[in-house]
Amino acid sequence: MLITGIKSKPVYAPLQPDLGGRYHLMVGHGVGGGPLLRVLQEFQASEPSAAGRTQILYMTEAGAPDEFSAQMRSAGVANVRLFDRTEALLGDFNAILGSSLMGTRLYVAGPESFMGLVMRIALQFNLNKDEVRAEECGTLARRVHCIHCRAVTESVKTNIAQCSGCSRWLVVRDHYSRRLAAYMGVMVDAEVPGELPPIKEVFL
Amino acid sequence: MSHADTLAVRVVAAEQVTPQVKRFTLAPVEGGLLPAFSGGSHIIVVIRGANRVHRNPYSLMSSPASLEHYEIGVRRMEASRGGSHFMHDEVRVGSVLDIAHPVNLFALDKIARKHLLIAGGIGITPFLAHLADLRSGNVPYELHYAVPAPDQAPFCEELTEREAGRMRMYHRSLGDRIDFETLLSQQPLGTHLYVCGGPAIVKNAVDAARGCGWPDSHVHWEQFSAPPPGDAFDAYLAKSNLNVHVVPDQTLLESIEAAGVEVPYLCRGGVCGFCRTEVVAVEGELVHNDHYLSAEERASGKVIMPCVSRARCKKLVLNL
Repeated sequence: MLITGIKSKPVYAPLQPDLGGRYHLMVGHGVGGGPLLRVLQEFQASEPSAAGRTQILYMTEAGAPDEFSAQMRSAGVANVRLFDRTEALLGDFNAILGSSLMGTRLYVAGPESFMGLVMRIALQFNLNKDEVRAEECGTLARRVHCIHCRAVTESVKTNIAQCSGCSRWLVVRDHYSRRLAAYMGVMVDAEVPGELPPIKEVFL
Repeated sequence: MSHADTLAVRVVAAEQVTPQVKRFTLAPVEGGLLPAFSGGSHIIVVIRGANRVHRNPYSLMSSPASLEHYEIGVRRMEASRGGSHFMHDEVRVGSVLDIAHPVNLFALDKIARKHLLIAGGIGITPFLAHLADLRSGNVPYELHYAVPAPDQAPFCEELTEREAGRMRMYHRSLGDRIDFETLLSQQPLGTHLYVCGGPAIVKNAVDAARGCGWPDSHVHWEQFSAPPPGDAFDAYLAKSNLNVHVVPDQTLLESIEAAGVEVPYLCRGGVCGFCRTEVVAVEGELVHNDHYLSAEERASGKVIMPCVSRARCKKLVLNL
């Protein structure tokens, strides 16, 4: 069974401003604030009016200092909303997309698991690759979907992890579902129960 | 199935819809059902005129749910190369035509949240098939239909009846034109735009969409236009060791076919890329009329789409 080298693993790239868009919606978490500010600075340099057509939804890292929101607020952005819970941010994001118009570009920056949840909602609004830019920064810890019991285990850092739903030991594959916003976890000791490969921290 | 496989159909009805447009209903000569298709598909009709064979694409406008017959709408082109005049003047109930199997280069996006359809004149035909599907679904849609004048609005009556509240007509003779900027700047996220008609409406809609920030993946178009004529020229088919002469109102592809050499094709309109042909040598310039090749490929002089493109040259050698 293929564990790595699977095409469905998302590919990210440094955020670039897309001035072909009429509206800009930015969503970030933690150190993802940095790339968003960088795009704002590039707006400032090439098309200053773009900031007035930009909204930002931003969530600080729990327990970490807030280095970015003050700069976001002073960048001439139409609307900056700050959150301390992912669910609240995603709820607002969903509502904003519901009233957004064609011509909107989405910029996402943050840990991969956070971006996956954002992209899952964007997908429901039929946003395509040419409307969305995503830059990964922060932890690589994964959301893992157990293919046996369908429970999702959050913040998985190891190649092998125990399912939060059925307690099976799962090997975490690069096989990614955009619909579930999670990597697939497959029982690792089905042939010889209890015989596990070495467990290593790989998603840091 | 080879692209050259055709199917014999009999014209079972021919109706003059407007002074310029005829609707032909085609049923399989052998009885039974025609091949299934999806909305937006076209067929190629082989038109055997007095002096030459035309292969013209026509959108299927009947419902994809009924395969007893296909319907096509044919507009008589003023400056016809002969194909549409033949269809209007010579083809009648009982005539047998050969058609190529349906191909779809203008399908609806299956996960769109809204469909915005813009038709210019005879460009309404693929939408008639789409609408048959859309009416039974639950995705919102709107049709904006621009015509020269009320008496030049093919299928307008049946549409008005079925699409009341979801359709708006624009009559150029009454000064009523589509305001693309307003229309395209107010569409909800997840909308897909589909435009079909002549070069002007396609260009206006696609340019306005880009101006309103629409990404290309949400913009779909199909242009109805005859391949542009040009100077006569000669081509040498290197592998077949044949010379072909292309007269001004004939396409390179038609001339190659007339010489008995097969080139794969689907759209015959310069968009699908199937007839892409390697140019071995050219003394002069290639006249690219397609929408398929990249700027780099055009500049290279190494490749041509013979369904719509030509050459102004002393010598053209193709790898055929």
